[in-house]
Amino acid sequence: MISCREVIEQLWDYLDGELAPERMEEIAAHLAECARCYPQYRFEFSFLEAFARHREKLPGPPQALVERLRLLIVT
Amino acid sequence: MKPVADVSPTAFEQELLGAVSAVHRFALHLARDPVRAEDLLQETYLRALAHRAQYASGTDCRAWLFTICRNVFLKGEARADREVATDDATLEAVAAAGLHAGLQGTDPLGAVFEQPELAEAVERALTRLPEEYRSVVVMVDLEDQSYAATAHVLGVALGTVRSRLFRARRLLQEDLLAFAQDAGLLERRKDGAR
Repeated sequence: MISCREVIEQLWDYLDGELAPERMEEIAAHLAECARCYPQYRFEFSFLEAFARHREKLPGPPQALVERLRLLIVT
Repeated sequence: MKPVADVSPTAFEQELLGAVSAVHRFALHLARDPVRAEDLLQETYLRALAHRAQYASGTDCRAWLFTICRNVFLKGEARADREVATDDATLEAVAAAGLHAGLQGTDPLGAVFEQPELAEAVERALTRLPEEYRSVVVMVDLEDQSYAATAHVLGVALGTVRSRLFRARRLLQEDLLAFAQDAGLLERRKDGAR
């Protein structure tokens, strides 16, 4: 049975999908039942989601530069 | 000679073209200046084309371009050999729990991160991070690279990626929470702690 301390120590690895499948399942099961660990999971998840949304808002490269690179690449 | 528009790009060229936006984002976060980022992007592609023989087909083209981009950037900054000490990732994970514990009475689930007003602060917080931390968090959180791919690109150990990433996230959270408190998006604790 995985402890709260182990879950907290591996929470980022879990959120990043960097653990072995069995460990991922253990932590998911723990989070589904633990009132102490779940809020921190939600907190860190919301933080990462903010970055995912931020990525979509970043400006892309100027079209003229993209075209220059395209010409550079295909010629 | 065929006009450029009629030339069909090879698979390698398609991969290069498909990575332009991602490498531009990476360059923007390294250079922290749009004009420098454009120069960095162009130089990255020039080098990639010049050294195309070094690219192993079937590997991650974006990661290869990130590596070149960062090397070009560091060469310009004359700090290619700079290395920060490896911190303990476990301690960082525990520190994150400490930061979260301070929000038990105000925002335990991180609702503040969903506030639209916070969006402007995210980029500012990112640009304030030292390069060693910024590169890792951009690779993993913005470009969805694995810890292993990030370690390869940055030329550091996997453990260093973890500790830098976790430290970077904590620094970003502290910065964003301070912004949220100043902007009245998050209640400030009476004892001054976050």
